[in-house]
Amino acid sequence: MLIDSVVIVLREVLEAALLVSVLLAATRKLATPGPSLGLAAGLGIGGAWLFGAAMRPISGWFDGVGLEVVNSLLQLAIYIAIVAVIGLLGAGAGTGARRAGAALPWAMVAAVSLAIVREGAEILLYFSGFLHRIGATADVLAGAVLGLGVGFSTGALFYYLLIALPPRRALRVAVGLLILVGAGMCAQAVKLLIQADWLPAQQPLWDTSRWLPEQSLPGQLLYALIGYEATPTPLQVILYLASAAIALAVFAIATRSSVSEA
Amino acid sequence: MSIRRCAQTLASFAAAALLGAGAGAGADGKAPPAIDLRIRNHLFEPSELVIPAHTKVRLRVHNLDDTPEEFESWELNREKVILGGQTTVIFVGPLSPGEYPFFGEFNPKTAQGKLIAE
Repeated sequence: MLIDSVVIVLREVLEAALLVSVLLAATRKLATPGPSLGLAAGLGIGGAWLFGAAMRPISGWFDGVGLEVVNSLLQLAIYIAIVAVIGLLGAGAGTGARRAGAALPWAMVAAVSLAIVREGAEILLYFSGFLHRIGATADVLAGAVLGLGVGFSTGALFYYLLIALPPRRALRVAVGLLILVGAGMCAQAVKLLIQADWLPAQQPLWDTSRWLPEQSLPGQLLYALIGYEATPTPLQVILYLASAAIALAVFAIATRSSVSEA
Repeated sequence: MSIRRCAQTLASFAAAALLGAGAGAGADGKAPPAIDLRIRNHLFEPSELVIPAHTKVRLRVHNLDDTPEEFESWELNREKVILGGQTTVIFVGPLSPGEYPFFGEFNPKTAQGKLIAE
């Protein structure tokens, strides 16, 4: 019971923790105000609670695939917020943070709180199943605390690794990671829409499950970081590449236009 | 790689996928067969499901417990929460012949099963 709870909470928390660490490291290196994490957590947990409470009717939408549709829209919204962050970071990098300005922390709050909505709803649901089982609650809560701890520690480690890099390289690595996290969101959205039969099912393009299983620890880390999947379909791979290309183009254009103005 | 080469590769990749997608949609013009799976006392019933290979199926999962469960399978690339007392739909396949384990993420010790495509 304890270990199940650790694994579930860690899986859900890892993605948000890594996203937060990259955002904080990027704003620190740019010496520009970062997101208000309290606000993001508040909005995210409130949204997760609402999403969890509305899950029963949502599940029934669109002939029983409402959850897939709503979750994929959330993933898409996170991608859009991340692209906005990337563009503003690019603008800030060229002008020494003057242009990133007031919009950057808000775009970051949007990305983080949306990520918490998606993952928090699942954790809340998991807990709801144990509330009435006497004796189970303590184990599950202890596991959750451990999972949160490991997730946050991984995020902290990542943050300090990024901070240790020289500023220009740190920003590039941070933007590179954000691009991959965002592309991973799009690939996951495609996977959900395939599960809902809204997008066509296809044979996987490759199968790396023997070398790097998704359920392994490195597999989970890579999943949280770059959206790793052992057996992606061609459609997922194409949308992953296309969304990464769009995000990269936004960064390049934002950087160039801010440099030419500066 | 030059940008032009990059774009050409991407474009041919996209064309191939769209063709593949079109062929897939054409192949299953009729409604996918429905298969039922129940969750009771945190166990899957039946724990082994046989489905036709190379065919998309509509898996109807009935959660007869009053607690939520998450149907999850790494091999099938599927993941979906099913609230207590609820029935949901998960589309699976077309699959190559073989065994595809799945489990309930909220009760992984007991809720284990596999899909056999043949």
